[in-house]
Amino acid sequence: MKPTANAIEVHDLVKIFGHFQAVKKINFAVRQGEILGFLGPNGAGKTTTIKMITGLLNITSGSILVNGLDNQKHMALIKKKIGYMSQKFSLYPLLTVRENIEFFGGISGLNRKELRDQFTRIGTQLSDELLRQRVQALPPGIRQQVALLVCLLPDPEIILLDEPTSGVDPAMRRQFWNEIYSLKKNNKTLLVTTHHLDEAEYCDRVMIIHNGKIVLQGEPAELLSQNRQTSIEELFKQVISAHGQN
Amino acid sequence: MIRLEHISKQFAAIRAVNDVSLTIKKGAITIVSGADGAGKSTLFKILVGLVKKDSGAILLNGENIHNDYTRITSVCGYMPEKFSLYVDLSVEENLNFFAAIQQVPRRRFEELKQHLLEKTGMLPFKKRRAGDLSGGMKQKLALSAILLSSPELIILDEPTTGVDPLSRIEFFTIIEDLKKEGKTIVMSTPYLDEAEKGDFVVLLKNGRVMMQDSMAMLKESFPARLFRILPQGNIFEVMQQITDVPGLAGQVHMRGKFIRYMQSGPENLSSQVPHLEIIEERPTLEDVYIYHERRQ
Repeated sequence: MKPTANAIEVHDLVKIFGHFQAVKKINFAVRQGEILGFLGPNGAGKTTTIKMITGLLNITSGSILVNGLDNQKHMALIKKKIGYMSQKFSLYPLLTVRENIEFFGGISGLNRKELRDQFTRIGTQLSDELLRQRVQALPPGIRQQVALLVCLLPDPEIILLDEPTSGVDPAMRRQFWNEIYSLKKNNKTLLVTTHHLDEAEYCDRVMIIHNGKIVLQGEPAELLSQNRQTSIEELFKQVISAHGQN
Repeated sequence: MIRLEHISKQFAAIRAVNDVSLTIKKGAITIVSGADGAGKSTLFKILVGLVKKDSGAILLNGENIHNDYTRITSVCGYMPEKFSLYVDLSVEENLNFFAAIQQVPRRRFEELKQHLLEKTGMLPFKKRRAGDLSGGMKQKLALSAILLSSPELIILDEPTTGVDPLSRIEFFTIIEDLKKEGKTIVMSTPYLDEAEKGDFVVLLKNGRVMMQDSMAMLKESFPARLFRILPQGNIFEVMQQITDVPGLAGQVHMRGKFIRYMQSGPENLSSQVPHLEIIEERPTLEDVYIYHERRQ
């Protein structure tokens, strides 16, 4: 394996659906241990890019390296390193929180002992009462918290979160970001998409995708000062209008 | 313009709206904000008579409407949370249809249609099926449909939820233009950064009003000071040091390269933690919300 300071490297990545080019030869890297915020309007190519990294979508051309491994050749190895929390809530609503954790732990390849260890860890975050509740009865913020726990079950090195704070109330959102920071503290690498523009400031670096192209990337404070803007919202408007709207 | 007094509504065991009183001021943007299930949509449905309230009164220009909701609906345009136009009709056909059922005079309608299509940036898409529009465009079309009757009061239930940031910004720009035209707007949103753009804000939690005031007063009355510190060295170690300062546990959170903390007492951190800079900040609406939620 080639040593690399980048957890993910994307080179000339292209995705075409029929006649529609969703991702247009994009290049970027996610550095190990950083939080990279991935912003863009709907249909810009965020979820398509994330799905190609996870192997859920085939790439049309280009390459993706995860910890130096080409995801076209080593997907089985890479899948063990990646945790993915999808935009669409994907837990089973009629199962309890405990049953969901057991089910997803099982398909993540955890054995009984590992699953027991995970429950010990999770026990510090979720009460017994919560573990017994059906997922459909949980408020949105708690559901997202459970979805994150499930995504972390195989202890991935790289975590991809697709709009994790959507529909979450403000206090839970702050708590959710505290979770994200504790993952960073444990040297995890995070790629986070969001529709909350203020969350861009919570990231180490941000990247804006528009019409399938990366139109801006860098540290939030630097981007603001380079573009003479005082808020991410103004910066976002400026960048998108400079590159033409959909 | 409108005053809601002690409105309550219960669905089986759930008290969706619990003794809510609020004022919608003429010519202003009033934002009702809160998490999913806070009672925003139920409250709006009560206001336009789609849901019957259990108790309380609605006053229009100082007079109790006594369940005569036509007094409200005759002056308002209501845009529900769920997209409710015809997906198989084009943008233009939808506008034609809604103008017909609202009996907008033909000549006036043609002018208005052109104006609305231009204002919302939908002119190039007027022949497109509504079902093929993006989420943001659908909401602009729904807004245009209610503006056909030139309502004095515009009631918008979560028009920007799930809509991407750019469309949200564009939508709110239209709302601000409507305010400049003298319209009264009441809108719900779960996004507090959007709520900050309102003149008045009502924060709901579990069916109750947690806080309501003008945006300026909500921030002015924030009872603590907020600081942003750029730490020197390992941010997690500095974060721990600040958390260990008596009175600051639970008042500290990270934000990118910075640490933010809320201080109620006279602690002076400048000598206690290694830092590059400490800046005092004005609270955001999110800070206000979290502060009051914790207190309750």
